[in-house]
Amino acid sequence: MALPWVEKYRPKSFADVVDQEEAKYVLASWICARFRAPKDFCTRWAKKKDKEILDARAVLLAGPPGVGKTTLVHALAREIGYELIELNASDVRTAERLKEVVGRGLREGSLFGYGGKIVLFDEVDGLHVKEDAGGLEAIIEIIENSKVPIVMTANNPYDPRFRPLRDISLVVNLKRLSEEEVVEVLRRICTSEGAKCEEEALRSIAKSSLGDLRAAINDLQMYLSGGRKTLTVDDIKRVGERNPQLSMFEILDRVYRARWFDEARAISFNPSFDWEQYFIWATETIPVVYKEVETMSVAYDRLSKADMFIGRIKRTQEWELLPYALELALGGVSQIKNKPRLPPFIKYGFPQRLLILAKSREARKRRDALVEYLAQNLHVSRSYVKSEIIYVLGALAKSDSKIVERLSKALGINAIDIKTLL
Amino acid sequence: MAELFWFEKYRPRVFDEVVDLEEVKARLREFVRSGNMPHLLFYGPPGTGKTTMALVLARELYGEYWRENTLELNASDERGINVIRERVKEFARTAPVGKAPFKLVILDEADNMTSDAQQALRRIMEMYAQNTRFILLANYVSRIIDPIISRCAVFRFSPMPRGLMAERLRHIAKSEGIELRDDAIDLIYEVSEGDMRKAINLLQVAAATSNVVDANAVASATTMIRPADVIELFNLALNGDVAKAREKLRELMYVKGIAGIDFIRAFQRELIRMPLDDEVKAEIAELLADVDYRLTQGSDEELQLLYLLSKLGAIGKRARQTPPPSKRR
Repeated sequence: MALPWVEKYRPKSFADVVDQEEAKYVLASWICARFRAPKDFCTRWAKKKDKEILDARAVLLAGPPGVGKTTLVHALAREIGYELIELNASDVRTAERLKEVVGRGLREGSLFGYGGKIVLFDEVDGLHVKEDAGGLEAIIEIIENSKVPIVMTANNPYDPRFRPLRDISLVVNLKRLSEEEVVEVLRRICTSEGAKCEEEALRSIAKSSLGDLRAAINDLQMYLSGGRKTLTVDDIKRVGERNPQLSMFEILDRVYRARWFDEARAISFNPSFDWEQYFIWATETIPVVYKEVETMSVAYDRLSKADMFIGRIKRTQEWELLPYALELALGGVSQIKNKPRLPPFIKYGFPQRLLILAKSREARKRRDALVEYLAQNLHVSRSYVKSEIIYVLGALAKSDSKIVERLSKALGINAIDIKTLL
Repeated sequence: MAELFWFEKYRPRVFDEVVDLEEVKARLREFVRSGNMPHLLFYGPPGTGKTTMALVLARELYGEYWRENTLELNASDERGINVIRERVKEFARTAPVGKAPFKLVILDEADNMTSDAQQALRRIMEMYAQNTRFILLANYVSRIIDPIISRCAVFRFSPMPRGLMAERLRHIAKSEGIELRDDAIDLIYEVSEGDMRKAINLLQVAAATSNVVDANAVASATTMIRPADVIELFNLALNGDVAKAREKLRELMYVKGIAGIDFIRAFQRELIRMPLDDEVKAEIAELLADVDYRLTQGSDEELQLLYLLSKLGAIGKRARQTPPPSKRR
């Protein structure tokens, strides 16, 4: 059961989409005015009579990630019994390709008795200038000639290059979700997964999600990964207040799934990219993605070389070297010969290093005390104690139980703890 | 507690107990007699008596007050030259106790300092020359900068000759009521390569299990004081179990505090013994040298060692798939 929770709990009906009432009214009013739709749906949702809405040739849903743009379109199609023809950013969207897919979809009759077809161009602001050449113009042409509803989504449609698109569509803004709503959804998921989640923990996840429900759900799934059934505020604090795992989770996924060197490299330009964190997380997750030792060692080799640049930068402050380090750490780790096919959902674990360091703090303190004591009394360095003396002591302690007792007395550490150090 | 370890218990306290190094002793005695001396630089391999001689000198100079007048520092342990400067400054603030007109700073592993740090050290030595003398201890004189060498009286320490080591080991065995066989002495000398501290440790571990120490007892002692946990890690990686190796690595790094370079050294020593093809051994030797360099250059030891482990896994996997060279011939 590797189904991501964002899929598992995606709302199926219009009513279940949370906190976007205004957008729902606009979208439904538009559909009901211009296309065939079930009567009870229209009675309930089509409440707007603005001319601007009723005349629009297409709808462009705009808003930050994870507020429900795509979900809303899926739910709409289901409510009105239309077949959804969807093209998203991971598809190639050149002019030819768009016309081919949409054209074919609209020509072919529906097999399953749908009432009609609805076209969704997802993430139109992600249209690639080179790769998707002519894509934007093609979409406009399709909209102008279309007899079926066309809906688009975008994070930021206000780039001047989307001006023509805005001119012929109705732009509907979806707002960031309130903290309350996010907490509410998280609470429902916890219950349904049989997990006990502290209210404050959910609030903390919601807060750092900044209204991005998808991110919040992904976070929750990460925290409850491996069958854990409780979530406390401490769990969240241990991993870091500002919730780096959300952006880290997405950043890692993008790096590993990048199709080209440049796509992976460009992730470092993202404002939420924190390269120090990235190194720790990449170190942790390379074996999750590259399971075979051959590819794994190539990935580690590249990250290791990147780290040598980081070392040099830290020593000499030659910051102009940073691009080399990042190219190796992102593009170099992403693009590897014989790279395996990646599953749709990869479980990236938290860096165990942080947890181990936190858990072993006491043990380390005891060890340091022992090492310091031996170094002082034997006139040798601490590193010599750790690499040589400790082993001699361990061998001696095996045949003389008094040794541990004496150390225990001298250091004020109990004997059992001393034994674990040897 | 110190006498728990025989190398400490039988560490010479006065010049007469030191069994060799006659010329060094003669010159140091002269310093004690005249009550004045320059800075000193003792260099030579581990276990050849550098620390012992520095401590003997301190006792001979200050008698019962030697501790008050001596500051022991280890360049690899202190965090940077600034920490060393502060500690020397604090120490030199007070006048020496007893008859000698200066205090003593013993700085071990001085050759592990960068040349910039050594330049700073030189200034520190000059700044406090009024009432302190430095004894610098090093494995390699070539890694000490010239301006420091020219300010010091330099003494070379060589590995203990076989006859003197045997004499000393017999003396310890007799005092501890242990029967020490000749074949045991031969093996201890061979394994320790003239490192007296290592030799005494071997003797002590061997004696811990039986009162008669022969070559067999020494051989099993050698395996007992090997870093077994680090070697286990090496084998896990070679067998391709990188997940388990990673878990082990983290335990050794973060709980036991083993430094990156110590993994490389242990692997390197173990490599000779491994039942591997010589071509594979050569490849691993090259890898170890490479990762040693990466550790000095990089900033994240765990990452560098994970590269080492995964690469060992890949080498091990290929070695298992390739028939041994005897069949290829």
